[in-house]
Amino acid sequence: MTFWDILIILARGAGYTILVTVASVSAGLAMGLFLAVLSTIRWKAVSFFLAAYNYVFRSVPALVLLFLVFFGLPGLGIRISPFVSIVLSLGLISGAYLAEIFRGAMAAVDQDEIVAAEASGMNSMQIFLYIMFPQMFRMSIPGMINEFTSVLKYTPFAYTVGIPEIMKEAMSLAVMTLRGLEIYLAVGIIYFIIYRLFVMLFMTFEKKFRIPGLAPE
Amino acid sequence: MALIEVRNLVKKFDDKAVLKGINIDLHQGNSKVLMGTSGCGKSTLLRCLNLLIQPTSGQIIFKGEDITRPGVDVRKVREDIGFVFQHFALYRHLTVEENVTLGLRKIKKMKSKEAVEKASHELNRVGMFEHRNKYPAQLSGGQKQRAAIVRALAMDPAVLFLDEPTSALDPQMSREVVTVINKLFLDNITMFCVTHDAFLAKYISDSIVFMDDGVIVAEDIAERLFYESVDPRIKQFFLSVIDHR
Amino acid sequence: MDPFINDLVAYWPQILTGLQRTLMLMVIISVSGIAGGVCVFYLKLVKNKTLRKWTEAYISFFIGTPLLVHLFLMYYGLPQLGIRLSAFTVAVIGFTLNVSAYNARYLTTAYNGLDKSELEAAHAQGFTHFETFHLIILPQVMRLSVPSLTNQVIQNLKDTSVAFLIQYHDFFAQMQEIAATNFHFFKAYMTATLVYLTLVSVVVLVARRMERSIALPGFET
Repeated sequence: MTFWDILIILARGAGYTILVTVASVSAGLAMGLFLAVLSTIRWKAVSFFLAAYNYVFRSVPALVLLFLVFFGLPGLGIRISPFVSIVLSLGLISGAYLAEIFRGAMAAVDQDEIVAAEASGMNSMQIFLYIMFPQMFRMSIPGMINEFTSVLKYTPFAYTVGIPEIMKEAMSLAVMTLRGLEIYLAVGIIYFIIYRLFVMLFMTFEKKFRIPGLAPE
Repeated sequence: MALIEVRNLVKKFDDKAVLKGINIDLHQGNSKVLMGTSGCGKSTLLRCLNLLIQPTSGQIIFKGEDITRPGVDVRKVREDIGFVFQHFALYRHLTVEENVTLGLRKIKKMKSKEAVEKASHELNRVGMFEHRNKYPAQLSGGQKQRAAIVRALAMDPAVLFLDEPTSALDPQMSREVVTVINKLFLDNITMFCVTHDAFLAKYISDSIVFMDDGVIVAEDIAERLFYESVDPRIKQFFLSVIDHR
Repeated sequence: MDPFINDLVAYWPQILTGLQRTLMLMVIISVSGIAGGVCVFYLKLVKNKTLRKWTEAYISFFIGTPLLVHLFLMYYGLPQLGIRLSAFTVAVIGFTLNVSAYNARYLTTAYNGLDKSELEAAHAQGFTHFETFHLIILPQVMRLSVPSLTNQVIQNLKDTSVAFLIQYHDFFAQMQEIAATNFHFFKAYMTATLVYLTLVSVVVLVARRMERSIALPGFET
């Protein structure tokens, strides 16, 4: 079995890796957006909830959370599939970070523009959709790229709950062939390639949506 | 023998020649001001003289030694040349006093106590002693530049180079700094100054050197160069920078 | 009394040892990570272009690949070359390489925000490349990077839990054992979560205090 063969076998797991990453990031984006919008409500209970959420999900290690969700919750009668477990865990955590990124971006939008929109008769929903969101989204792109790569680097944990992504394939292979060095080197290379490809994808995506004068901060 | 002698200095960036054969001398106790349009090469010339920029060809003789030859001790040369920058370039994380003593302690190898004494003395001369424990972020532009001048002078250099020392200052602060440099001029400090501030130039120069497109066009005392020049380039330049009231 | 609490009490010495091992690892890699980060950052500023390129490649690789891969590579890969290292050694080396890359990246970001004319002034005064680095660049860059560096320490604490996957018997590994022996999975992992939360809070408090004490006018974050 050559190094090339190893790469091919491992690449089979890449599909799952990408699937888990994309699903987790989507969950994180949804959560982050939700939390960011929530933060505009000036209600004490809401602020407290946000602070608590932020604190908990930025302090708990991803692996610990995953184990709590997948191995722990069944003890309370809640059984969650491996895939949903990892997506939920990574989604909740990256949601906390993305919420911060979105909040920062929202604060960077010029208040005068919001007032102008109000003055022209738009309601809150319209203001958010047409003024706030487009600007906030563009300004969050670097942060989102960062968070994406973070999540990508957490996906290896998925092997602990049985998902057949790259790491799991690698471990089976290593046990069979005892060529751990080449195998894990190949794993590293594959992750690096996925990382690079995604960054390039995002950069081209970002270029299409770039507006002069609205540089991501 | 002059303190600095420049012979046929040429500097090319890629294929573009910024200095096209400069010949100039600076004697001890003398003060010359370089003026000219943007891009004429005056800042480049200054930076070549203390080897911040490597000349392409030509000679620079500093204190009798050719400093363009390979193997020259660059550090020794720079120790002897004080440099004041347009944007002050004070070390942001150090107080005014620390900014001045850093070079004294680390390059001149003075003991801390000596260095502080020397710094205090020099800061006093420009009225910055009371600000010695402040950080650059807490100073006005004029104060920063005065501190920068002290930092350069405290090293007791043979010559002081100034690159657009007043260009980043508003008129009031600019006057503050001109007063300080004028004092130095009256004390016969050897100086080379690059500026487009004609007011400054008048008060700190024994002669003004006018440059255009990489060559020296003329050298004369301020009044004659400003008002009596027949060269169209020089006339054009001073028409735009001097308040002819 | 609740059987889980019974277990906690019974296993208390082991839990304590586990905590010690977690904290020890965190402290070691935080220190070595900062020291390593400074060294790698220095290498990014040397005159030798090849050295700079290789340094950037090192940083890119360790930031672009998962920590687990680095650890597995050393723990399960090196034996193929006949090198067998203990879990602790692998953890320390693997984490240090990883953390150094991140810290070097933070320091470089701060460096890019520096006023370059200060560096010119330093050269004009006659300071050598190395002197400029440790007298002018490093003090400023370290101050500017404090938030990133302290966040990295918090991240280090969280990441120590990963070490259990290469058989490093830390606090998390210990809680696993307790969970598995009596099937108190939820309670065990919940306890683990709360412990990590507490530890992180402590680190955050210390970090904030430190940030305040080294603040200078002009370096407010």
